[in-house]
Amino acid sequence: MLLERVLVLLYFAGCIGIGIAASRRVRGSGDEYWVAGRRIGTLVNAMAIMATLASGGSIIGVMGLAYSQGIPATLALFAGAVVGFPLASLLVARELRNFGRYTITDFLAFRYPSSVVRTLVPILIVIAFTIYIVAQLKAAGITAETLLGIPFEQALTVATLVFVIYVSFGGMVAVTWTDVFQGFLMLVVVLGTGLWFLWEVGTPLELMRRATAVAPELGRVEHRPVASYLGYFAIWATAIPVIPHIVMRVFTARDARGARLSLNLAMLAYSALILAAVFLIVPVGKLEFPGLADADQVFLKVMESRFPPVIRGMAVAAVLAAVMSTTDALLLACSSAISHDLLGNILREKASQRTIDAVRVGTAWVIGLLALYWAYSPPELISQFYTAGVGLLSGSLFVPVIAGLWWKKANRIGGVLALVTGALTYVLVHFQILPVGMAPILVSLGASALAMAAGGLFGPPESREMIEAIEKLHAL
Amino acid sequence: MLKSFFPMDRAEALALAFLVAFSVFSFLPAWRSEEIAGMAVFGWLMAALMVLSPALALWVFGRPGKR
Repeated sequence: MLLERVLVLLYFAGCIGIGIAASRRVRGSGDEYWVAGRRIGTLVNAMAIMATLASGGSIIGVMGLAYSQGIPATLALFAGAVVGFPLASLLVARELRNFGRYTITDFLAFRYPSSVVRTLVPILIVIAFTIYIVAQLKAAGITAETLLGIPFEQALTVATLVFVIYVSFGGMVAVTWTDVFQGFLMLVVVLGTGLWFLWEVGTPLELMRRATAVAPELGRVEHRPVASYLGYFAIWATAIPVIPHIVMRVFTARDARGARLSLNLAMLAYSALILAAVFLIVPVGKLEFPGLADADQVFLKVMESRFPPVIRGMAVAAVLAAVMSTTDALLLACSSAISHDLLGNILREKASQRTIDAVRVGTAWVIGLLALYWAYSPPELISQFYTAGVGLLSGSLFVPVIAGLWWKKANRIGGVLALVTGALTYVLVHFQILPVGMAPILVSLGASALAMAAGGLFGPPESREMIEAIEKLHAL
Repeated sequence: MLKSFFPMDRAEALALAFLVAFSVFSFLPAWRSEEIAGMAVFGWLMAALMVLSPALALWVFGRPGKR
């Protein structure tokens, strides 16, 4: 395992080096720290977006799920996020890029000026993203423990310190550069492995025929009703247009067209990654290791049996890269929710630039270390909680954002009602305090839309100035 | 009714409608039992959606008139 460990250490050193280099550029500038100066080109942004979405679950998890529950069910889960990106590019990308601030809270607080919005939105983001970060840290610890033989706590601590260092000091510039590096590594390893198997067998259809002849469950939908996947599909499809770590990427683009193109280019790359994993690597795993007790081991088993140590080392680094490229963006978004959304007004009025810089760095460290502390003994169902956390954000933010951009009758009272109703309904249905027998996301989106409609139709009409301001966002 | 909404480019509105319709179509229960090359049609539709949806959006935003 020595070679694998050396490769991973080199990868960590590269990430810290990028963070230190970026810190010189971002010091003293909110624009540079939060949105990389709004100068990220389309292809670089696309790669960074792909890496941000592709978490540990997109490599280890997707293959384990396909192995144990079949390819159709797995694709249903991942297709929701992919569809979410075209939705984001059609519904919000141009308008939010033209709005030209830093966070989704900035837009909502502008569209629905209220202390409820300014306070509740960042609190929801911090709750949901802390859970999300802990889930990712757990995945990083398990991966390093399994593949490198390093104890869980040590692996967790080292990985967390590395990304907290480069996020806290380098901001969005460091996150973008490391994400590009990490995304490239993921694509090379997964597509390279998939293409190698394709070259051996001939066509994906032939590989599927062989695998499903031995293990027909791989191609069937038989573990759960399709309807149960509709909830997951809807969570991710509606989350992507409003989820903060993706929306921040829209703000980093050079212009609205660049933002729209990069979102969709990212999804072509992400789809290639997922499809190569489930159609080319999983069938080989099913043929060679048909009875794995832990389905999440299938990728690692295939790499171990087919490739030399150098490639295996790259595979370990790719899995860690997938985890870190998501976690760094989550940490930055979570940090912005506190130091920009919640404390921003106070800091701008009363603090020096040096203090503002210190608060940004300090916030990232506090969140990172708290998440690390929690991740030492994470709840068993943390992976399910993080999807619920994303659902909470989606259920509360989707309707206010979309209606705020497209419905002329959306007003302050409607926006506040939709936000609060969406969040409350999601929590009540998720914890079965309100048992309705439907996916929480579908209920909360419906309730949030009704609340928005009630506020818009029966509340005071929106001001002419606000309508004109939104018209400008569409027109630019 | 439509006057209550900000206008959307026609091609973008059609792309949005196509994405929603394709997603609904893919989740119809009939596609669970039909199989092609050993896999349920539902799985092939999901795979197609993953490629078609970003490709369609790229085509819409990459049209010469959109530059």
